[in-house]
Amino acid sequence: MIEEKGYALQIEGLNVWIRGKHIIKGVGLEVPKRRILAVMGPSGSGKSTLLRAINRLIDLIPESRVEGKVLVYGTDVYREDPYRVRRLMGMVFQTPNPFPNMSIYENVAIGPKLNRLVKNKEELDELVKWALEKAMLWDEVKDRLDDPPHRLSGGQQQRLCLARALALKPKLLLLDEPTGNVDPVNAVKIEEALRSLLRDLEITIVLVTHTPHQAVRISDYIAFIYMGELVEFGLTDAIALNPKHELTVKFLRGEV
Amino acid sequence: MDAREIKEKIFLAVVVILSLAAVLPVFHVFLSVIWNGLGVIMKAGPRFLLDVPPAPNAGLGGIAPSLAGTLLLAVLSSLLGIPLSLFAAVFAVEFPDNPLAKGVRVLSKALLEIPSVVVGMLVYAILVVPMGRFSMLAGALALAIMMIPYVTTYVEQALEGVPFTYREAGFALGLSRPKVVFDIMVGIARRGILTGMLIGFAKVLGETAPLLFTLGRDRYNIPLGPLDYGDSISLLIFDYAQTPYANMHQVAWGAALVLTLMFLAVFLISRRFTEEVFL
Ligand SMILES: Nc1ncnc2c1ncn2[C@@H]1O[C@H](COP(=O)(O)OP(=O)(O)OP(=O)(O)O)[C@@H](O)[C@H]1O
Ligand SMILES: [Mg+2]
Repeated sequence: MIEEKGYALQIEGLNVWIRGKHIIKGVGLEVPKRRILAVMGPSGSGKSTLLRAINRLIDLIPESRVEGKVLVYGTDVYREDPYRVRRLMGMVFQTPNPFPNMSIYENVAIGPKLNRLVKNKEELDELVKWALEKAMLWDEVKDRLDDPPHRLSGGQQQRLCLARALALKPKLLLLDEPTGNVDPVNAVKIEEALRSLLRDLEITIVLVTHTPHQAVRISDYIAFIYMGELVEFGLTDAIALNPKHELTVKFLRGEV
Repeated sequence: MDAREIKEKIFLAVVVILSLAAVLPVFHVFLSVIWNGLGVIMKAGPRFLLDVPPAPNAGLGGIAPSLAGTLLLAVLSSLLGIPLSLFAAVFAVEFPDNPLAKGVRVLSKALLEIPSVVVGMLVYAILVVPMGRFSMLAGALALAIMMIPYVTTYVEQALEGVPFTYREAGFALGLSRPKVVFDIMVGIARRGILTGMLIGFAKVLGETAPLLFTLGRDRYNIPLGPLDYGDSISLLIFDYAQTPYANMHQVAWGAALVLTLMFLAVFLISRRFTEEVFL
């Protein structure tokens, strides 16, 4: 049975159906605190759905059903109020989605403001700066915090979304291919940001990625999903050296 | 020029001529309102906006009570209608499967089609008769009923047009549903929402029929409270155009120009909202 100590994320027997279609099939895994899990798998295998099942954004999808257990820092996600459990987590989506009607500053400030996490403007300014620094974006935007986000490049927008998530100081950060639609320079910046997060904060990261190199470079654990099933899960070094499943081998070679 | 080019030229010419034919009557009305109205207003001077209407064959006077009535009615009916429309739209978008929300949708579509004179009669029956008097309030209620389906439909469309990913982003921040709707979605859709409100506002500026049995047509006193009798520019035009007196026809032309300019102002404001692409 699930042992709670030390794990940031524990998933047990997780199944997801959307409109009667079985999307996630009996996934189980656990990630210790302050580690980074890379989730890999071909397109349509259920990676994004897995993330949405962890923070219960899946609740927003009509005709969806979830079975199984998800614990985030010991909190039983499906037995708690979904709004409360989402506050434990941050999410960065597959395509950058900063709120288009808000300035760069407001995009980061909106979470803490609406969740009433700060007492005054100074505290909020401080927090916005902190989050933008953590997302490695501060230097690029500090002189134009009032600009709308569409003036930023795609990669900068994605880091803005990272800052927006970080401003709530999440314990678990869910990243859905944050470097997927981003140029290599920005991709490196995002990777650097993630590393420094793990170094400085009490945070655990689940990173969906298409790039085996990226997974090997920065993750501690790898989960490989194929058609909704977890076909391989373990320490990154072990899987990179000695993949058990032939699909993982192919994927790591870039053949799937 | 080959045959294809000639065909295209002919096609273009036909399209241009037909579209001119379609808009010409509109221009004609527009121009005659400006032409006739301008003459009247030049003659009457600024007093046209400040005086009460003339007696038959006794000069031009002004349309102050009707102008005030139109403005106050538009404001009052917006105060009644817009919040209701907002909530109806949010309800319909947020709870599409709720039977009550479905009812709201059907009702607002049905209200779109309802003849405006029937709305006037309805308010006459439910408000004027019980209260024993015409009133600005009754007029505003009738106008609000006219406005609600339009504004609701526009706001619904504006909210539905917000990409799902922003909704998800809002919920991912741990926000409650009302906060996602009112602090995120409404903000992103605000241009469409404001446009819808302005269109509702413009719509009631010109309405006549709903006011026939509700307002009382007191065009000699500026209404000071919601229970006072009142008048509107549209009613004044409607009545004066039917009198046999030349001076009253003139007043009607001048009033028509004033109303047209009010429309134009609202139109231009709403254009500003829709044209700006980002902040
Ligand atoms: N909202 C939805 N409605 C219907 N089906 C969905 C929905 N979201 C996901 N699915 C289905 O679930 C399956 C997994 O989709 P998911 O987006 O999780 O894959 P993915 O691994 O993230 O793919 P990609 O690498 O392309 O992002 C797909 O077959 C998809 O069609
Ligand atoms: Mg995906």
